[in-house]
Amino acid sequence: MLTPKQNMLEVIRGGNPDRIVNQYEAVQLLMHPFMFSSPLLQPGQENVVNAWGVTNTFPEGVPGAFPVHTPDKIVVKDIEDWKEYVHAPSLKFTQDQWDMVKATYDAVDGEQSFKAAFVAPGLFEQTHHLCEISNALMYYITNEDEMHDLIKYLTEWELELAEGICSNLHPDALFHHDDWGGLDSTFMSPAMFEDFFVEPYKQIYGYYHSHGVELVIHHSDSYAATLVPDMIEMGIDVWQGCMETNNIPELIKKYGGKISFMGGIENRAVDFENWTDENCEAVVRRVCEECGNKYFIPCIAQGGPGSVYPGVYMSLCNAIDKLNAEKYGIDAAQSTRLPWQIMF
Amino acid sequence: MSKITEVAELVEKGKAKLVGPAVQAALDEGCDPMDILNHGMIDTMTIVGDKFKNGEIFVPEMLVAARAMKKGVEVLKPHLASGSTGANGKVIIATVSGDLHDIGKNLVAMMIESAGFEVVDLGVDVSTDKVIEAYKENPDTKIICLSALLTTTMPAMKATVTALNESDFRSNIKVMVGGAPITQEFADEIGADGYSEDAASAASLAKRLVAA
Repeated sequence: MLTPKQNMLEVIRGGNPDRIVNQYEAVQLLMHPFMFSSPLLQPGQENVVNAWGVTNTFPEGVPGAFPVHTPDKIVVKDIEDWKEYVHAPSLKFTQDQWDMVKATYDAVDGEQSFKAAFVAPGLFEQTHHLCEISNALMYYITNEDEMHDLIKYLTEWELELAEGICSNLHPDALFHHDDWGGLDSTFMSPAMFEDFFVEPYKQIYGYYHSHGVELVIHHSDSYAATLVPDMIEMGIDVWQGCMETNNIPELIKKYGGKISFMGGIENRAVDFENWTDENCEAVVRRVCEECGNKYFIPCIAQGGPGSVYPGVYMSLCNAIDKLNAEKYGIDAAQSTRLPWQIMF
Repeated sequence: MSKITEVAELVEKGKAKLVGPAVQAALDEGCDPMDILNHGMIDTMTIVGDKFKNGEIFVPEMLVAARAMKKGVEVLKPHLASGSTGANGKVIIATVSGDLHDIGKNLVAMMIESAGFEVVDLGVDVSTDKVIEAYKENPDTKIICLSALLTTTMPAMKATVTALNESDFRSNIKVMVGGAPITQEFADEIGADGYSEDAASAASLAKRLVAA
């Protein structure tokens, strides 16, 4: 039996996987020191200001923290003078701080799983965290130069972060968030997206790729089918969060071999009040049947292992194990995979 | 090119700084203020909404068009009879309790306002009590719109709609719901009057509901 990591590589390379990859089983998400220097909110915490000056709130019973954008809390008061308001936090950490985090990387068996550095938010998300989303989206039209400059500034900060991560933590994967759309549309046209984001991400993902990172996994739980050629150009190996609205079977047919798709199981289809094991299994079976086992990894769409309603993620894991036993004769008990990581 | 056509083109392109002077030029030339409003702006925003729905334009283009119309209305308002810009009636809009997403709600608010409604935007994370309180402060409201983007806040939407359905003013209003996890089936199940998939359809639905 292949290790989970070997099996995932076979799926991504279009080789000979011996079973379906079970969600995040081959990707351990790991932190970096900056995540501990900017407050990480717990459910129920309100109005906490992070290292960028963005105010966040984490209501109980939702998937994550969210920026608060009442007029007094918007960081960028005037886009023409954004440099007055946006001050990138320091990325200077002591060797002790890096070493403490490195110990968590060393604790992961690299034969079984990728060690993926977790980076969020991405460039687009950071612009709307700083400016407020409607403002930011309008600025992409009304203040193109300022937005290019702001993104360049954010990119330089991300490259400094990448340098620290690669030289101190040596991950072999990156799990990078940046949501680029809603349920059935991207936030901006592909042309606008290309103008603002392709080059900056080519730099960031290019840096990781040339410094030991084998897999760049990008999270955007949205429609983004029209952006897939750009994702390939940026150097994304796996698009995590790919929703069914993207027509995943068609994407696999069109782009398989250049990029892989991890998702298909939308939270809205399985992760709700009164969820059931039966429904989780039915969704897993349907998605796996439709998408096959090459260039596709069935996974809950949200950007990290877990679910909003406790138990849903494990129910999906169990359903995939059951399918693997039926289709491939694989006994999950024989798997060498690491204990399930549940972050949310 | 007529002055009203010029206003329409500037609104569609989202040229906020130029729309005001163009509206003034149309007024100076003797154009009827109601024609400028209806044909230069409201009709244009219907076209913008259709283009968004068809995937020809995206959220940024729609936002700048709505903002441009707002600038034009500021110049036009003193020349219109009181209440003309919200002639279709008053709409209360909110994202339900526990949900902090506002982009969808904002787009719907802009498109509904651009379709000739007066919008009272209660913001995000709005409790049932606040929605009812807002209605009592605005008893001439014709539609209450509720948005939810999370499966976890669908129960909050249901609770608010249930409370509205049990209120003594229910027959005076229509209730519209929307958001990524919301479906027509869910809207029917909780007793809402209408559901729409996107902001442009929401504006059309609002017009249909008040005309019914």
